[in-house]
Amino acid sequence: MPEHTEQIYAERLKRYVTAMRNEKPDRIPIRPFVAEFTATYAGYTCQQITHDYEMAFAAARKCAADFDWDAVVSNMVFVWTGLTEAIGMKYYGVPGIHVPPDVGFQYLEPAEENAFMKTDEYDQLIEDPTGFLFNVWLPRVSNDVQPQDKPTSFRNNLSFLKGGMAMLNYFGAFAKQDELLRTESGTVSAISGILKAPMDILADKLRGYIGMAMDLLQKPDKVLAACEALMPHLLHVALAGADPDKNVPITIWMHRGCVPFVSPEHFNKIYWPTLKPIIEGIWAKGHQVLFYAEGNWDAHLNSFAELPDASIIYHVDKGDILKVHKTIGHKFCISGGLPNYLLSVGSPDEVRCCCRKIIDDVAGEGGYIMDASAIVQNDAKIENVKAMTEFTREYGVY
Amino acid sequence: MSEKEKIHRDPGVCIPWQQKLAELPPIGGDAELVRKVWEDTDALAYTYIWQCLLSF
Repeated sequence: MPEHTEQIYAERLKRYVTAMRNEKPDRIPIRPFVAEFTATYAGYTCQQITHDYEMAFAAARKCAADFDWDAVVSNMVFVWTGLTEAIGMKYYGVPGIHVPPDVGFQYLEPAEENAFMKTDEYDQLIEDPTGFLFNVWLPRVSNDVQPQDKPTSFRNNLSFLKGGMAMLNYFGAFAKQDELLRTESGTVSAISGILKAPMDILADKLRGYIGMAMDLLQKPDKVLAACEALMPHLLHVALAGADPDKNVPITIWMHRGCVPFVSPEHFNKIYWPTLKPIIEGIWAKGHQVLFYAEGNWDAHLNSFAELPDASIIYHVDKGDILKVHKTIGHKFCISGGLPNYLLSVGSPDEVRCCCRKIIDDVAGEGGYIMDASAIVQNDAKIENVKAMTEFTREYGVY
Repeated sequence: MSEKEKIHRDPGVCIPWQQKLAELPPIGGDAELVRKVWEDTDALAYTYIWQCLLSF
């Protein structure tokens, strides 16, 4: 690697980490979570970058090399549908197969009556979460995996063999991708490790949102017990994928655990008490968590303020970034806040104007990272992403 | 052991070492080596199912 590329990498890493610790770097780091946008820019279809992770990696690296970004996600189109098809997963609409080739992959949540976990199965999940996933959940989400009471099959066996080896290949490929990002363009790999809140994963992949909402009313004690049973596993998985150097954060993808998806009571009695100890456990090991707060979590900022200083980075999607800054900005770094619709239908001038306002409002003392509100998909205009980048680079100098 | 017999599985574990150990003849060699390799490969299966749930 050329010496200057390594120097650029070191400067970017320092800038990014300094901001995440809620301190003031030399300038505002830029860390856009670009997903299907990488396909638009690099000349691929959504199908190509979703179904062939090497193409996704190449697209991410091209963007990293061409834009002056401090950090990117190695592959923000993380759901490799080659893997999900190998396993026989039912719940994805795959570009080029179930949806048009230039549409991003879709998650297909089943109707309440077809939920992957039934409402009378809480005790099974609570007693043995890992066993439940293998024996009950996986046969329901895969077309190929046989239930325990059915004879095994060729397709059943292949699902595990192909799925396991494909997952190993995929995860192993990230090390090389991160190294290439570093050596080709001096770009930092932005995150490492995955977390979801117990109640979110219960809604997302087990009971479905409607099923979980009904259970919250009819059997809240079971929902709480299930969340508690999931906690140690989610902590374990998060730490297993964490950055060993403790520079970049584990990301929690926050979905439907906030008001108005759930009531304040359910947030306060179930969602937060079963998430907060996980965050504290991760922080005790020296890792930050990036709260990717999809939607609007403003109703819960005071709860998040209970966490130790600098233990999280708070990403703003639909929330009021000024309110976020006033409520928790003294404790945590903030990222995001640039509306995706501006990148999609706005003009470069409108993007620059919004970036200026965000920087003026919340970035004065450091502790801010420029990014769009949500993951940038293939509706974003290239000139608008350039405007966000160039304006921040010019205006965001301390 | 019956599949339906209750098993306590800690995070990172699918088939606990103690369960596997009970199925093996007395280990004349390095029992610690056998335990470590069992647990390391068992953890891969744990990663598989939890990543299926969380990431895919």
